[in-house]
Amino acid sequence: MTAALPLRQSMAWVHGWLGLLAGWLLFAMFLTGTASYFRPEITQWMQPEIRASTVSPAQAAQGAMTYLQRIGAGDDVQWFLYLPDARSAVTRVFEQRSPTSTAPPRPAELTLDPRSGEPVRARETRGGEHFYRFHFQLQLPYPWGRWLAGLCAMVMLSAIVSGVITHKRIFADFFTLRWNKGQRSWLDAHNVSAVLALPYHAMITYTGLITLVAMYMPWPAMVNYKTPLDYGAVAFGIPTERAATGIAAPLLPIEPMIEKAEAVLGAPATRVVVRHPNDRAATVTVYRHASVSINARLPSVTYSGSTGQMLERSGGTGPALMTAGVMLGLHVASYAGTGLRWAYCLLGLTGAAMVGTGLLLWTTKRRRPGAAPFPGLTLVERLNIAVIAGLPFGMAAYLLANRVIPADAAGRADGEVAAMFWAWGAVAVMQLARSPRRAWIEGFAIGAIAFAAIPVINAVTTARGLPASLRGDDPVFAGFDLTMLAIATVLGMAAWRVAHLRPAAPVRRPARGVVHA
Amino acid sequence: MQATPQRTPDLRRTATSPRRRLRPAVVPMIARIGTALVGGYVLASAGATLIARLLPVDRAEATSWGMILSFLVYAIAVLWSFHEPRVMRVMLGIWGGSVAIGLALALLGVRP
Repeated sequence: MTAALPLRQSMAWVHGWLGLLAGWLLFAMFLTGTASYFRPEITQWMQPEIRASTVSPAQAAQGAMTYLQRIGAGDDVQWFLYLPDARSAVTRVFEQRSPTSTAPPRPAELTLDPRSGEPVRARETRGGEHFYRFHFQLQLPYPWGRWLAGLCAMVMLSAIVSGVITHKRIFADFFTLRWNKGQRSWLDAHNVSAVLALPYHAMITYTGLITLVAMYMPWPAMVNYKTPLDYGAVAFGIPTERAATGIAAPLLPIEPMIEKAEAVLGAPATRVVVRHPNDRAATVTVYRHASVSINARLPSVTYSGSTGQMLERSGGTGPALMTAGVMLGLHVASYAGTGLRWAYCLLGLTGAAMVGTGLLLWTTKRRRPGAAPFPGLTLVERLNIAVIAGLPFGMAAYLLANRVIPADAAGRADGEVAAMFWAWGAVAVMQLARSPRRAWIEGFAIGAIAFAAIPVINAVTTARGLPASLRGDDPVFAGFDLTMLAIATVLGMAAWRVAHLRPAAPVRRPARGVVHA
Repeated sequence: MQATPQRTPDLRRTATSPRRRLRPAVVPMIARIGTALVGGYVLASAGATLIARLLPVDRAEATSWGMILSFLVYAIAVLWSFHEPRVMRVMLGIWGGSVAIGLALALLGVRP
C-alpha cells in the first residue's frame, strides 16, 4: 500500500485479505442460504406427520379464521395468515395481541391444518426456517447478526469487484481447469467456480444487501419522510391505516373475499392480513402469490371486513420500486419453478465452492515445502477444516436430530438447533487432535456418513422412507432422500480425493500465458 | 489473489525489508481500514441521501434509487481506499467528501 501499485495488484491484495476475513462466514451463508431455496420442502420433510393438502387457499383461510375467532376474537388487533400452496402443506398464523389484553399468554405463531383449521399434530421443529434465518442472522441476537451478515455481504461485493479487476483473462479461464497441480489447481477451481457463475454471485450478493436495505441504509428515507416507516408503507404497498371504531360488527366470511381478490389479482392468494377483527373498521388485505412475478413485493387488495366492499388496491409502482422488488425476488427466488429452483441451488453451491476454494488457496499459496507452517497459516488451515468440513456435518446432524429426538419431547425444536451447533463444534475441536490431512479426510468422511444416514433413519422411523416414497406419490420425500444421498456421495468423493492426493510439487513456472489470479 | 511470484511479485516482497516496514505501517493501515469500513459507509449514506433528496422524481422513487445505489458507492469507496497509496488522500477523499455532502444536505434540508 505504501508505494503506488497498478490497479490490478492493489485489487489482488484487497481481494485476498477481504476474502480471507469474511470467507468463513460467507461460506456458511452460501451453504445455508442455498439450502433455503428448499425451505418449505425441508420443513415438509421435518414434519413427516403432515401430508400435502388439496385445500384451496380460500378454504384454508376460512378454516383458520374459525379457529382464530374462537381463541383470539376478544383481544387480537391483527391476524396474519400464510396460506398453503403447492410447496407448503400448512396454514401458518400469527396473532398480534392488543397491548391491554388480559388473556393468558399463548404462542403468537400457530401452525394449522388447512382442512380442519385446528392446530396440526406434528413434531415441533424450526424446519427449513432455521437454515434460512441462520443465513442472514448467524444465530446472533437481533440486530447484530443482520449487521454482521450485511458486513460480510459488503465484503463479498468488494471482493467480487476487486476479483474481476484482478482477473484479466476472464474468458479464457472459463475453460481452464488443471487437475493435480497443487496451488495452480486450486486457483483454477476458484476461477472456474467464480467466473462460471459470476452473474449469479454478483446478483445474489447485491440483492442480498437490498433485502435488508431499509435497515442497513435508512438515511435516504429520512430526508424525504417524517419516519422511515412512512416510506415502508409506500414501498411495500401497506394499506392505509384505519383506526378501530370500538363499534362491534361481525366479520364477514373471508372465503368469498379471497376468491374475489384472486379474480382481481389474477393469481392465488398467498397471505391475508386481518386488522381489527370484529370491529366496524375491520379490513381484510389479500396478497397475490409470489409465483407469478419476479417482483417479490406482492400486490394486494383490501376489503372492509364488515361490509365486504373493496376499499383499495395497491398502486402501480415506479421503476425504482419495481427494481427493488425484482432484486428482492431474484434473491429469494420465490417466483422460480422446480427446474429454475434447482439451477439456483447449483449456482448457490458454486458460491460456496468459490469461497471454499478461495480460502484453501490462501493457505496453499503461503505454504513453503519443507518449512514449518507459521502460526497464521495453521490458524487459517484449522478454521478452513472447521467450517468447510464441519458445517455440512452440523447441517446433517440437525436433520438427523429431527428423527432421533422423540416427536413429543418438550423443547425438541431447540434441541435440533443445538444438535447442529454441537456437532459442528465437535468437528471444529476434535480435528485439532489430527494432522490437517487426516482432519480433512475424516471431516468429509463423517459428513458423508451422516448424510447417508439421513434416508436410513427416515426409513426406520417413519412410513415415508425412500422405498415407500419412490413407489407412492411422495415426490418431496423421495427428492429429499435422494438429495441427501447425492450430498453424501460428493462428501465421500471429497474425502477420497484428499486421501489419494499426491503432495503437490511446488509451482515453478506459471502455465503459459496465465498471469494472475 | 496475487499473481505467481515471478511475474507480479506480491506486496510483501516488494518492500525491501518487510519486517522493518511493517511496524510504522500499522497506524496508517488502521486509519485506512477504518476509513474504508466506517468512512465508506458514511460516504455511501451521504451519497444515497443526496440522491434521494435531489432526484427530481416522486419521493418514494428517489428514496428507492438512493437505497439501491448506496452499496455501489460503498464498494467503490472501499476499493479506492485500498488502491490509493497515500493514506492522507484516502482520508481526505472519504471523510472530506462525506462532510461536504453532509453540509450540502444540511443546507438543502428535508424535502418539502
